[in-house]
Amino acid sequence: MAYDVPGLADQLSDDLVVKWNETVQDAYDSLKSDLGSRFFTLDPGSLESPVSATVKWFGDPAEPNFCIGPETAQKLSDWGARGRQVLQNEYCEYHTVHQPDTSGRLRPKRVQVTTELREYWVSLAMHDPNTVRGLAASTLGFEPSWEDLYGVTDPASLSVQQRKEAFSRLVAGHGNDNTLVAAGVPAQPTGPLNTENALFMTHPINGLDDLLYIVLFGARPYARRTSDGVEPATREQIFRAFGVEHLACRHADPAAALGAHAAVFNGRPVAFANPLGMYVQSFSDFLFLYEDKPIPEAWVRRSRGAEGMSQRLEFGPSDEDDAFLDDIQLVRGDLAEPVTGGYQVIRELEVGPKVVAGPPTKVGDEEYVMLDTSTDPIRCQEATICQAIQQLRDEFEASQPLLRIAPRTMGRLGG
Amino acid sequence: MAALQEGIYHAPGQRPDAFFAMLFLRAAPESTAGQIGQTFGQLWQTYQDLKAGKVRELPGHPVPPGRLTVLVGYGPKAFQLAGAQRPLPTDLGPQNRFRSPLPTGGGPLLLGSGLRYGEDVRTNLATEEIAVQLIADTQLAVHRAVVETWRTLSALADPETSSARLLLTSFYSGFQRDDKRSWIGFHDGVSNMESTERYGAIAIKPSGTEEDSWTEDGTYLAFVRLAIDLPSWDNLSREQQELLVGRDRLTGCALTTVDADGRPVVQAGCPVTGSSEVTDEGNAAFGEPPAVDDPLVKQSHVQRANHHELPINSRNSLRVFRQGYEFLEPLGQAPGFRAGLNFVSFQDTPERLRRMLTQDTWLGQTNFGGDPDHPVRGMDHLLVVRAAGIYLVPPAVEGEPFPGASILL
Repeated sequence: MAYDVPGLADQLSDDLVVKWNETVQDAYDSLKSDLGSRFFTLDPGSLESPVSATVKWFGDPAEPNFCIGPETAQKLSDWGARGRQVLQNEYCEYHTVHQPDTSGRLRPKRVQVTTELREYWVSLAMHDPNTVRGLAASTLGFEPSWEDLYGVTDPASLSVQQRKEAFSRLVAGHGNDNTLVAAGVPAQPTGPLNTENALFMTHPINGLDDLLYIVLFGARPYARRTSDGVEPATREQIFRAFGVEHLACRHADPAAALGAHAAVFNGRPVAFANPLGMYVQSFSDFLFLYEDKPIPEAWVRRSRGAEGMSQRLEFGPSDEDDAFLDDIQLVRGDLAEPVTGGYQVIRELEVGPKVVAGPPTKVGDEEYVMLDTSTDPIRCQEATICQAIQQLRDEFEASQPLLRIAPRTMGRLGG
Repeated sequence: MAALQEGIYHAPGQRPDAFFAMLFLRAAPESTAGQIGQTFGQLWQTYQDLKAGKVRELPGHPVPPGRLTVLVGYGPKAFQLAGAQRPLPTDLGPQNRFRSPLPTGGGPLLLGSGLRYGEDVRTNLATEEIAVQLIADTQLAVHRAVVETWRTLSALADPETSSARLLLTSFYSGFQRDDKRSWIGFHDGVSNMESTERYGAIAIKPSGTEEDSWTEDGTYLAFVRLAIDLPSWDNLSREQQELLVGRDRLTGCALTTVDADGRPVVQAGCPVTGSSEVTDEGNAAFGEPPAVDDPLVKQSHVQRANHHELPINSRNSLRVFRQGYEFLEPLGQAPGFRAGLNFVSFQDTPERLRRMLTQDTWLGQTNFGGDPDHPVRGMDHLLVVRAAGIYLVPPAVEGEPFPGASILL
């Protein structure tokens, strides 16, 4: 196994590529004993005549939508770093840049969308501070200080583990890494580089280990017995059998797991195509209008990856443009509405890894994982995550300023 | 107990009967929801009688009912009637509706879609308060129901003013084909979902919007009357046609790539030895085209319309359950007829269809298929919209006088 760097985005030394591959291998090894099988390989080169398997989903957070409806989902997801850190867990995170207009009113200017894996950046930060600083500079458009990256003026003076902890504390969050959690690194970064920008993904669910988990989880020939013989198990049966019904309601997990399962049920082994990464697979920029015309091409900037493998999208006017994000209209059906935040942008894009499948092989009777769990629909809005999201909504509403909403009545907008 | 209405042939072994009509009922100005509910309730009884072979004017002399099924849908306007008892469901909001034609005719069906109204279409006649789908195994049974609709509504009109509360403003009819092809000569509907998967894509599921819970186990109907520009189609070579569709014209087998000479290559092993078409026995595995990597084949209609995303009961998959009917109507200009398709689909949210038609790499920006930036000559107007609408098809609820009665009464 030797993956290139995600998206072929960077020219790195061989040593750094090796370190990235070690990170991938470590993540796989931690899952292999429970989920490994002959139907998944970490080496796409070992597959004969590989064909792409479709694994993608829309970028908008699914959980707030099924818990509290689309309108509130949008408001909460757009609620700055708080919304991002709690809700943006479909392998797609964004930050909305605000700037004052000529009247001094703070308005949304553009949206930074990232699908870059946290582990890649942490790997670079551990082993080559200069490279990570250079990447951050080219991505953000300014060179960050060492203090903002590591909390010290000289990261070379830190050990590799110290750099990992320092960078994670300020820029990456702990990503459910046990050593980082034990070291007291918070789940989300505390520094400005990746909270006042979307540099790469930080939500712990958006990690490499979870990506491997959901594909490995699906890459087994789950089956059910019917009067016609053996048929593929359903989404409901698979997620119910392992007590993770709540995952079935998200975008990413069922798409990745069932995408792999569809191939594996026919005996086709799957692998992440080279390079392993999470990519923007489609974006309907033609749904956005500015002054009733298609938006200028320069307002859609894909980066951090070769063609077809973008891991970053900046959407909206640059600083040199007088226009603001909310001057752009998003037209869906018979509705045109100003773009007020990133939610409306990521709802129109699809993300996913590149997965390939090999040729069919015979699946032995003993290889099927027979499930007899119920095929009944899973009631997503009863998931426990909905309680947390309702709390977030209450928090959001309480944070809104008191306004006169009716004669002699003060109240809060939002919710 | 709530269940999908009849007229959606999703269950294993079910096939829709051969004849179809979709009719549209407009509420008279100033009508209240209650008045419309009362009127439609009586019309519903007419339909129940027709299903039993009873015609009001022929008491005691039954007629063949023709296996008639009747399905009712409600458009956004139904929820705007004074006194409507239900709020507009979230998924029936403007974000999931089609655009109107331009006052001068034409215009896009949706921004981001390559489908446009005909240049002579100034009014969309498929956007009334109520839509009724009729399906039967004889043309007469369907047409009789259309005429009896008019007769019932006329009989209910105010005797002094002759004004009726509900008006039959338009209807569109069609027929099934037994060759499993469409007017462009290619197989159609071959890759529709497995019957066991259909309900998951069709039925409205519980959502985070409590006010919409009454719609659960109902569905949304999309109707698009599409005329086909056959002269432009016939100007294409067979290879051009096949690459646009994504199938072999004769066998119906899906394309997987093109050879070194640019000729389409079909899926290996299709059709199985001893058969000649993908619809023949033994070829079920070839019905749904496989995922492909060839960029040219990827742009074909069948690949754009279905990215093989799973699970199908997730709205992410953008799968819809199609139940379309072809049409042929006379036209006062060459070639003397208009051929086309009554596109009908059922889905748990119209968002699936809207996104399928407008999303990048799906059918977004294309009229039918191919490269939107460099369309094959004439293929940016192969399909022309004559009428289109989105309707909520509420569940049939035991004890309700008719499906959706709780919206009006």
